[in-house]
Amino acid sequence: MAHHCCSRFLDLSRFRVLKGNQVISCADILSAMLLRGIGQKLQMAYGLNARLLGFLKSSRDKVILPCGDIAALVYLWNPFTIVSCVGLSTSPIENLAVVLALFGAVTRRVPLAAFGFVMATHLSLYPATLAIPIIIILGYGLDAPPIKLFLQTRSVENEKSSTSTVSKQAKSKQTTHLPFLWKTVAHFLFWVLLWSLYVLVLCALSLNKYGGLEEMFKRTYGFILSIEDLSPNIGVFWYFFAEVFDFFRNFFLIVFHVNVLFMLLPLVIRLKHRPCFLAFVYLAISSILKSYPSVGDSALYLSLWALFVNELIDMKFSFFLFCGYLGISLLSPVMHNLWIWRGTGNANFYFGNAIGYACFQIVFVVESVSAMLNHDRALRRSSSNHGEVKS
Amino acid sequence: MATEKRNKEEEEVKTDDGSPKIKPRPIVQLGIFLVAHSPVFSVVFSAAGVLALLILPLLAKNTYISENALMPGSARSMLSNRDVSDGSKLVKDIKNYRLNHEGQVQKLVGKYMSEMVAEVYYQKFHPEGNQFHPLHFFSGPDSYTLLDNVSCASYGVNVAGIIRAPRGDGKESIVLVTPYDFINGGDYEALSLGITSTLFSLLARVTWLSKDIIWLVADSRYGDYRPVAAWLSEYHSPSFKVSDLLKCGERNTADNFRRAGTVAAALVLKVDGRSERFEDTLSIYAEASNGQMPNLDLINVVNYLAVHRQGFYVKVEKVVSLLSSSWLKIIGEIFEAVGKLAHTLNPDWNFGIPVADYLEGSATLASSLYSQALGIPTGPHGAFRDNQVDAITLKVSPRFPPDSKTRQHDFFLRGARLLEGTIRSVNNLLEKFHQSFFLYLLTSPSKFISVGVYMIAFALLVAPLPMVAASLYIEGCKALTKSTDNPTENLKSWKWLDAAKQVFALHLFGFIVTLLPYFICQVPGQHSPSNRSIMWGTTSSSLLLITFAAIPGCSPFTSRHHGTHWAVLKSVTISAAFIGLCLMSIINFATAEIGALLLVPTCLMAQPIKPALRSRRIKSMLGAFCSMVLLTIGFPVMFFAISKGLFGEGLVGLSLGGEFWTWLESLWAWKSATYLYIGMVHLPCWLLCLCILFHPS
Repeated sequence: MAHHCCSRFLDLSRFRVLKGNQVISCADILSAMLLRGIGQKLQMAYGLNARLLGFLKSSRDKVILPCGDIAALVYLWNPFTIVSCVGLSTSPIENLAVVLALFGAVTRRVPLAAFGFVMATHLSLYPATLAIPIIIILGYGLDAPPIKLFLQTRSVENEKSSTSTVSKQAKSKQTTHLPFLWKTVAHFLFWVLLWSLYVLVLCALSLNKYGGLEEMFKRTYGFILSIEDLSPNIGVFWYFFAEVFDFFRNFFLIVFHVNVLFMLLPLVIRLKHRPCFLAFVYLAISSILKSYPSVGDSALYLSLWALFVNELIDMKFSFFLFCGYLGISLLSPVMHNLWIWRGTGNANFYFGNAIGYACFQIVFVVESVSAMLNHDRALRRSSSNHGEVKS
Repeated sequence: MATEKRNKEEEEVKTDDGSPKIKPRPIVQLGIFLVAHSPVFSVVFSAAGVLALLILPLLAKNTYISENALMPGSARSMLSNRDVSDGSKLVKDIKNYRLNHEGQVQKLVGKYMSEMVAEVYYQKFHPEGNQFHPLHFFSGPDSYTLLDNVSCASYGVNVAGIIRAPRGDGKESIVLVTPYDFINGGDYEALSLGITSTLFSLLARVTWLSKDIIWLVADSRYGDYRPVAAWLSEYHSPSFKVSDLLKCGERNTADNFRRAGTVAAALVLKVDGRSERFEDTLSIYAEASNGQMPNLDLINVVNYLAVHRQGFYVKVEKVVSLLSSSWLKIIGEIFEAVGKLAHTLNPDWNFGIPVADYLEGSATLASSLYSQALGIPTGPHGAFRDNQVDAITLKVSPRFPPDSKTRQHDFFLRGARLLEGTIRSVNNLLEKFHQSFFLYLLTSPSKFISVGVYMIAFALLVAPLPMVAASLYIEGCKALTKSTDNPTENLKSWKWLDAAKQVFALHLFGFIVTLLPYFICQVPGQHSPSNRSIMWGTTSSSLLLITFAAIPGCSPFTSRHHGTHWAVLKSVTISAAFIGLCLMSIINFATAEIGALLLVPTCLMAQPIKPALRSRRIKSMLGAFCSMVLLTIGFPVMFFAISKGLFGEGLVGLSLGGEFWTWLESLWAWKSATYLYIGMVHLPCWLLCLCILFHPS
């Protein structure tokens, strides 16, 4: 009888696992579809801008890569995604919320963007930094070359009319400033407020018996911020906070968390004309400096990176980075096995690997940003050349 | 390794920018210099790697007891004549018992144990257990599947007795294992039971024990390893499913499996054959699966006690044929001469060792490397290492014939004292063995090479790979930019993608080939090993043809000129080989070292044969010839045949496939990572080198 019960229970749990798996793989597929949607919008914007700046008519006619399809494929076929899906991690759901927020912002569905943003922040806190790129997308529009370029081209070419909102605005005002759509942003903020109120009320209702909202904040955000769980992961915090003296702990907690916030402002000043790319950079940085990072986060930012293949085609060290990511992702399970299972290695083996991973991620982000800036520079150079030739 | 990568990176900076404005830093300049002269440096580094491997016996350090708590030999032995007579009586009884066929010997041993106030129980196990399953690599020891339809025809019975420690809390234990074939065990084997029984009778009454002692008499009818593994898996992961095995035989053994605490260490004792030397010989076997070793302190304690207290001659396994090899002798003489010269120059330089020591050291080192590389445990201690327990096998060969009574008394006394001293040391431990080395190679029982030293040889050997990869990558990119002036194809930094596709396809192929034996084993009917190997070979080659046909640009026989440039392909291949070798060096160093000796020259020498033949220059012809020879040797079956020939077993012609299959079967039966290495790193890289060789450039 006991045996029978046991097997029934096993069946039930297996069924549950299967169900959980379905939810997670559905989340992954949905994210990929949304990424494709974002990519199509970005591709359209890229083509439009290129035509406006007069590159597509020129002799070195570029083929625009279908970045949405590439990003969706990169997301679905990434081993990191597959691993986090098979391992029943919750990161696909967090990723879905983030992608949903970006999709809503790109397609200007403000309530959707606000919903995704609130859910992502509620689930893993770090996407809160995405508020800045989303507001810029809603306020200024999609990724585009710097506004100066358009003015330059305009002054040289004296074109009559165009369909782009950007160029229309630029034309009507003839200033270096784009109008900021305060109304949409206020709309967004209102919806954020509404959704967060909604989520909090629901949480408060369901957690009534378990200590209420205060307990929830302590157990979720508090857990993320105070780094209580020091079990090894692919990040760099667990090792440091396992070693640090207790009376320094609070100080270093502040230092480590400020690290993430520290880079927000400089980046937004430099990359304000490319808000989607800015979102990618923020996500990548937070996945490096997260308290409990996972490969699911890398899967997200790698696929977001693939949205910009047209701009980042000249990125340097691609082969080196590829080899590095491959080597590290093969090495880390082996190191973990050596330390935890075989007992012949020690924590330094695995932590060295985590440091290597962080270094590769940093090189990746730095190279992506510099490739993007180089792309803008090249545009400026070629547009001025173009103008000279024409005139 | 890190600097190499950095070098490569910096080199790319310069080539991609085109206009270096700032003068690069010295380390960057060094990197550029290394990459620019990569052919010279790769030869230098590879030669240095081989030289460092030969020098290793010189660099071996003397072992020392690292953990202070062990204190071997500091306590006086409490063993008395009464204990020894207990042991002798057991041996005599077993002999009589078996002569008169009075029934199960296990019962007799159990009776003796319970007389010494130990808790006794019997465990039945099934001899089968090692079958190829792709998921069993790297999985824990509890993956032995319970067979549902076991027959009562063949099963073994282990006997185990536990002495509870008077001073312990029952949370830790030490295991003594004596494998004994209860059906047809010889007289020498019974002596191991005698020694352990002597010790057990002492341990039953001592007051200093703080860890429980388990004496396991393993039924070695079906090999030494399996009974111990079965006992350990039951000990650590009890199965709540009622096995059919329990109904077999007269005694119902259900429910009485007893446990003590976590196993701190284990000693396996075997007695066999007569010693060829004047003293009693003690051989230490330490290699467990996948080249894992027990903590060096355990070997140190046993070696110290055996040499300095009990006067055994201690040895570890060595490759005997190397002792008489002339080329090694010449190298040894050169090293000795260099050492002497250095000593005359500066009396503080004492690295020279005599030729005989060098030969001994190299022979032992070679054996150590070989058994680690094979990944097959050298004794039942391997089962313990799979459960993260430090264990070694001690094989004692007495110098007297088994029926000599007077010598036997002395032999029992010394053997039991050795074990007593070791157990007393381990008993002192407060935590697991952790102080000394886990990663080391032995060159004699009292000399070792630590991981920091032997890694240098490997690092030097693989250092050329990233260097050459970087220089080839730059070269290939330049060539591609020159050949394609198509403006649509301005994927500046993504030219490696095509080559990566090909490398990935062939690695996928390697993965499938690695898994194929699992399906071939499922083919119904009895097949001989050679038949199975033929099946494997034909399936793999047809798969390879399909791969070549399905993925255009992958095959070396396409005549398309806009395929990948061979330099880029070689660069990606070398990178893949580098990652694979580095990975393997962490899983199993010895495999990676031997694999690197084979794979590094093959990868470095591979170049298209067509232009070399067309140019008709001696240098390029020689290069092509070398790469062809290396590729021929590098084929796994060929290498297997050659190494068999070298070890003097003779080439066997037609049955070679069958033998190769049997060898591989033994590898996967023991879950050796070497098998994975051959299938997933060596074979794809070898095929890629072949593709480069026949590249239509």
